[in-house]
Amino acid sequence: MKNSKKKFGKLLCVLAAAGSLLFPASEVSADTMPYDTYSYDWWGEDVLQPPAYLYAEELSYIQSGTKLKNPQDLFLKHDTLYVADMENSRIVALDTSGAMLWELSSFTADGAEDSLKSPQGVFVTEEGHIYVADSGNGRVVEFSPNREYIRQIGRPETELITESQNYVPTKVIVDGAGRIYVIAYGINMGLVEFDRNGEFQGFMGATQVSVSMFEYIWKNYFSTDAQKQRMETIIPTEYSNIFVDKSNFVYATISNLSAEDHLNGADAVRRLNPTGTDVLRRLGNTAIIGDLYNATDEAAWSSFTDIASTDYGCYFILDNAGGKVFCYDYDGNSLFVFGGKGSRAGLVRNPVSLALSEDQAKIYVLDSQLGSILTYEITEYGQALLGALKAHNEGNEALSYELWQEVLLRNANSEVAYIGIGKTYLKEGRYKEAMEYFELGNSRKYYTKAFKFYRKDLMQDNFGKYMGLIAGVVVIALVFVVGKKIKRWVGEAKCNISGR
Amino acid sequence: MQYLRTLKYGFYVIFHPFDGFWDLKKEHRGSVAASFTFIVLTIFMLVVQKQNTAFLFNMNRLETIDVMVDIVSVGLMCILWCVSNWCLTSLMDGEGKMRDIIIFTGYSLVPLWLIQFPLIGMSHMITAEEGTFYYVFTTISYLWTGALLLAGMMVTHQYSVKKTLFTTLLTIIGMAILLFIGLLFFSVIQQIATFVMTIYKEVRFR
Repeated sequence: MKNSKKKFGKLLCVLAAAGSLLFPASEVSADTMPYDTYSYDWWGEDVLQPPAYLYAEELSYIQSGTKLKNPQDLFLKHDTLYVADMENSRIVALDTSGAMLWELSSFTADGAEDSLKSPQGVFVTEEGHIYVADSGNGRVVEFSPNREYIRQIGRPETELITESQNYVPTKVIVDGAGRIYVIAYGINMGLVEFDRNGEFQGFMGATQVSVSMFEYIWKNYFSTDAQKQRMETIIPTEYSNIFVDKSNFVYATISNLSAEDHLNGADAVRRLNPTGTDVLRRLGNTAIIGDLYNATDEAAWSSFTDIASTDYGCYFILDNAGGKVFCYDYDGNSLFVFGGKGSRAGLVRNPVSLALSEDQAKIYVLDSQLGSILTYEITEYGQALLGALKAHNEGNEALSYELWQEVLLRNANSEVAYIGIGKTYLKEGRYKEAMEYFELGNSRKYYTKAFKFYRKDLMQDNFGKYMGLIAGVVVIALVFVVGKKIKRWVGEAKCNISGR
Repeated sequence: MQYLRTLKYGFYVIFHPFDGFWDLKKEHRGSVAASFTFIVLTIFMLVVQKQNTAFLFNMNRLETIDVMVDIVSVGLMCILWCVSNWCLTSLMDGEGKMRDIIIFTGYSLVPLWLIQFPLIGMSHMITAEEGTFYYVFTTISYLWTGALLLAGMMVTHQYSVKKTLFTTLLTIIGMAILLFIGLLFFSVIQQIATFVMTIYKEVRFR
């Protein structure tokens, strides 16, 4: 009796476990989402798809101390969120549930009291060293993992910046080799680069100004003075944010692009190698500029304020204008877009920074107007999509194929999934199927590769048949021609004989 | 039989344009029926081409293809070209009658479908790298047609080269003007119709 009761209890346990698997207790669900998830297809049209990330919660942490006031930067390292709380002039560290760990506003520097003033950027190295872009004081300050002052890096000593020019560092990153890159407000020569000792090295990744011939002629010969004055503003664009990935490439976003710039194909994102050359792959169907709109809809152009990248080359870009997060794969294909502006839960007011958890399970978006961090959790669809790209990047074709199939089950419009499966077929030598999938994925680049092999196989298998056909045609043609000639020759001969 | 012979003469014309167009006009080797046939074939070619060209070379979205668009665009262009050309050349000492103009226009279109029909089939056998051939042949077909139109006009109206080019330019401008007047006309008619309808409704509901 006792035994059977125990068994019954076990069964109940199993049933409950199964139930919780089927009906997870989480409150997030797709149909209550205040935003749509979509991506751009080959035709440049936005196609709806299942949500890849769902809004989870808002970390506003009013409970401990003062609320965040106009925070400007968010950084995530080892499950700790670091926030540059600008108007409170402090750096705040939170755990991933939003509870405060510590705050940092004043410190002892070389025996003297010192404090931060309107910091706009924060970065934490692998070893836990905290770099703060102390904007109000015009310097970058480094702290040890237990928040002790180590050093400060002030204004770069160079003749390239005049004395009257302000130096206001807003964002700072440190790459694996210890190089420090700073975005400074008002400096449009690119990123300010310091070596590991804090010595100024130069400017990196300056945006080039290209004036077209037409523009030059128009400006110099056909414009009135008033027009000329308006056009003086052809200056290089400034970077809005930077991110350094595991292989020391620097992703940089540019936000202040006009509609004209967008139409002229200006870059909104760059991936800079250590020499400052842009190596971002732009092989996707659409330009990497966020939302694609027509020329008349000027207000709708996206304005990128932050970027975060994964190890396998996918990157997430935060758009301040539309409050959206754009995800692109390594080649620059649009994977998904989600989010929006508004007052409903899950929508943002003025998003300024985004952070990505190590396994991409969560996206944190810092909203400066709300003074809080919004978190978005990945869905099964998102996991399959990103997992497939990751597996492909790691060379695990079998897993990637499996995950692409799962993506297709949930989203039959996914061009990247069709191309992903097509690539597997291409490697396996199933060319005809590969062609079918590349056609569904609208990829002419891979279709032609598959087609080439398919045609080769077809020719090799049926070489005899085709050659026989050609030979047959040639023989028949020859018979006709020769027959005609013989007839003519016979006729002429007859004529000659009869003529004699 | 007469009709078939005039059709067949199209193949002679495209290789011997000056000789051919002269005979079309003076020797009545061509017919308006054959000319219409060639125009219909061009439309037919466009319809088939848009749907059946291989994926690698077909940038059309199958859902949005409309046969009416092809019919109207080619048909309307031909009508506009003929009318505009006739109007201008009557003023500019052209010797061609409306019939001659229709004939030389139709016969000029022969290389267009003659080359592009086989290209539809060929597109299924070549890769993107070999696509150069495809595009070269397409370009040849357009250039050939263009050259034939010029030659046809020259011979039909007895023009010099300079005058032909000038008249062609004027003809194209004339087409634009005709199109503009046509649209204006329809727009005005529409306004008048609405106006009449409104008055009718007002009177009825009083």
